[in-house]
Amino acid sequence: MPESTSTPINPPAPVTRKGGFRLTRETVLLLLMLAAIIGAAVAFPRSFPTWANLTALLRNMALDGVMGCGMVVLMVSGVFDLSVGSMFSMVGVLTAWMMTSAGLPPVLAIPAGLAIATLGGILNGWMVAKVKVNALIATLGTMQVFRGIAVLVGGPGIANLPPQFSRLGQTEWLGLQSPIWLLLVVAVIGQFLLARTRFFRKFYYIGANPKAALLSGISVEHMQIFAFALMGLLAGLAGMTFAARVATATSTSGDGAELRIITAVILGGASLSGGRGTVWGTLAGVLFISLINNIMIFARLSPEWQSIIIGCVLVIAVGMDRFLGRKK
Amino acid sequence: MTASSPAVLLRAQGISKTFPGVRALHQVNLEVRSGEVHALLGENGAGKSTLMHILAGVFPPDEGSLHIDGKAVSFISPQAAQAAGVAMVFQERSLAAPLSVAENVFFGRQPVGRWGVIDRPRLHRDTLAVLAELDIQLDPHNAVEDLAPAEQQMVEIAKALSLKARLLVLDEPTSTLTETETTTLFRVIGRLRDRGVGIIYISHRMAEVFKMCDRLTVLRDGEDQGTFEVGEISEEQLISRMVGREFCYRQAEQVRPVTAPTAALEIQGLSDRTLLRDINFQAHAGQITALAGLAGSGRTELALAIFGARPITAGRILIHGRPVSIRSPREAIRAGIGYLPEDRKEAGLFLEMGLAPNFGAAGLDRFGCWWLDDRAMEEQAAAAATRLRLMNLRAQSVHELSGGNQQKIMLARWLLVQPPIFIVDEPTRGIDIGAKMEVHELLRKLADDGATVILISSELPEVLSLADRILVMREGRLAGEIPHAQATEESILRLAALPHSTHAHA
Repeated sequence: MPESTSTPINPPAPVTRKGGFRLTRETVLLLLMLAAIIGAAVAFPRSFPTWANLTALLRNMALDGVMGCGMVVLMVSGVFDLSVGSMFSMVGVLTAWMMTSAGLPPVLAIPAGLAIATLGGILNGWMVAKVKVNALIATLGTMQVFRGIAVLVGGPGIANLPPQFSRLGQTEWLGLQSPIWLLLVVAVIGQFLLARTRFFRKFYYIGANPKAALLSGISVEHMQIFAFALMGLLAGLAGMTFAARVATATSTSGDGAELRIITAVILGGASLSGGRGTVWGTLAGVLFISLINNIMIFARLSPEWQSIIIGCVLVIAVGMDRFLGRKK
Repeated sequence: MTASSPAVLLRAQGISKTFPGVRALHQVNLEVRSGEVHALLGENGAGKSTLMHILAGVFPPDEGSLHIDGKAVSFISPQAAQAAGVAMVFQERSLAAPLSVAENVFFGRQPVGRWGVIDRPRLHRDTLAVLAELDIQLDPHNAVEDLAPAEQQMVEIAKALSLKARLLVLDEPTSTLTETETTTLFRVIGRLRDRGVGIIYISHRMAEVFKMCDRLTVLRDGEDQGTFEVGEISEEQLISRMVGREFCYRQAEQVRPVTAPTAALEIQGLSDRTLLRDINFQAHAGQITALAGLAGSGRTELALAIFGARPITAGRILIHGRPVSIRSPREAIRAGIGYLPEDRKEAGLFLEMGLAPNFGAAGLDRFGCWWLDDRAMEEQAAAAATRLRLMNLRAQSVHELSGGNQQKIMLARWLLVQPPIFIVDEPTRGIDIGAKMEVHELLRKLADDGATVILISSELPEVLSLADRILVMREGRLAGEIPHAQATEESILRLAALPHSTHAHA
């Protein structure tokens, strides 16, 4: 019998992960945020570190965060969805239309809107998983279709939404507005599902190697359709909440959200090729973008600076990641 | 063999290289003459690829010197090695798939006319000339992605030749080739040798080394075990130098008896859209049934069809006499079938992931219904790794592991699921001899314990030593069964390669 293979022999004991500190993209992001918060607090001690500002900041990030929770699942499995911004607008407008022009009560319009969102997501998933259209192309297509529908139905927008509906987006509880609560609920559940459940763990396998995942008995197609449906549902929920909060459904309210969210998810540790990403990381990414935006306002800098800073951080963070983590 | 003067083309002396924690090479010498085919042998992890990377200028050695034509050289980059006439043909192709053969052969050096526009007629003429020199028949206009793997390899060799390569490194060139393609490759290698090119030939296949090569150098654990003329060393001596022990295939003593009245797996009239035609066979529990055949004969496709990963157009699958419907690997696993894929990197492993997730991939339901118990998964993975003598548990991701260890993880994944019917596709391809023996033992034990093992292997000695029954496939059909008593490498090959006048068309 052979004594050993030619590989160097390591004692087969410690299976636990390395306990030491590792400089991952998420930790870099957290350190950057800490620095930005301290800097802003020192520079604007009266206005920045206040409860009012904190809630404003959270409210601004809340709906991006909700959509980020769906996007991170997709990106873990190696795909993404460009249609989320259009979905956000379209579902807001369609729900508003059902309540105003069609006269449906919110109790019916809301589930109908969510059903439309889910179906839109299933359409994306079906094209990507079954028809094998590249995710970029499939969702680039539906992005424009959804946007078109939103404008066709709603024109520039639909105002005067029923108060029972808009109240849902405006109530406060324990000093936090409902979008923030929505984010908290979605994020806590999402974190648990993605990190701890068997079902969601399969997305990591699919992202790491779809062919091997299939041959290990994972239903890759069904899983991806599910992820797109979930994304659609969350984007619709976010769009509806936004319409309720401002009591108006605007046809362009979600424009640009898709790239902002994908940026946040990548900042939070995911990669375009799949297999990586966490809900916490995604929230950190969304928070970072929101924080930069917030600080820019205090600093009275034009919003273009936000764009420049986030772009630089994205490229540097990912570049540094390769430099630090992927050395072989 | 070498009629030309034995001018030394490459001399590598005292090469050492250490990576963090691993001494990859220690005082290795290698001498290649022009016009010789020089085999480089050793188990996986013996240091072959490190040495080749040094020759290719990927990284420098810590110690030692390289001489080409007696002149000291030090390659600071792959470009420098290329300029000195060293060319590599690795297992992973480095071609631009959508571009034509001609564009690839003259990649980056296309002949240009005025204004820097590519001179297409001349490009194709030059390509044809290079191909003709090697006696390769390919249309320079064809896109590389439309070619068979063997033809792509020819394009790589033609590219190396057009680069005026003096030293050509071929890394496992025949691992994906059929017999005919291998013959063509050997003819091309012969041509190159006649032109005075020095060839370093890396292969696990002894027969090829003895057939093609003039001299050979053996590496073991990063140390040089000497250079020999091919005629002066026997296969057994060679293997014992490679592994540091004697090795021979254990012949199958006896056919395991069939105990159950119905076959554990029965395939009836199975066909698919492109290749498989009316396949019927039975496999019994407690036996190893081998599917032999040439590459491209449809063995892997048949396995994938049984496993639900390839659509079928006709036929039934019966398990213990009962028809089952299998439309996906998930359903196949539920029905009690496991499949160890041929290409573990492509279709088996999650390379960026660690040991435990790779181990648990097919049996996640064993670690909790809703919540996934990661700790249990890690503990069981560690236990399985110890049982299979899998080293290097600390690897962060499985791509750091050797081929043998990777294959053991793949096996461990299925041992966790314990499928009663287990199809193994080339289970020992590209792994070292030690690991190979362990895999063989494991498969024997599975059959002894009552599993229905279906073995797909292109290595005939492996088939002969493991199988209770040998079925042979040819061109998508089952060509026949070879009775155990008459099974020899020759009889299998004859049935597998019988000339066929008409090609099967639906």
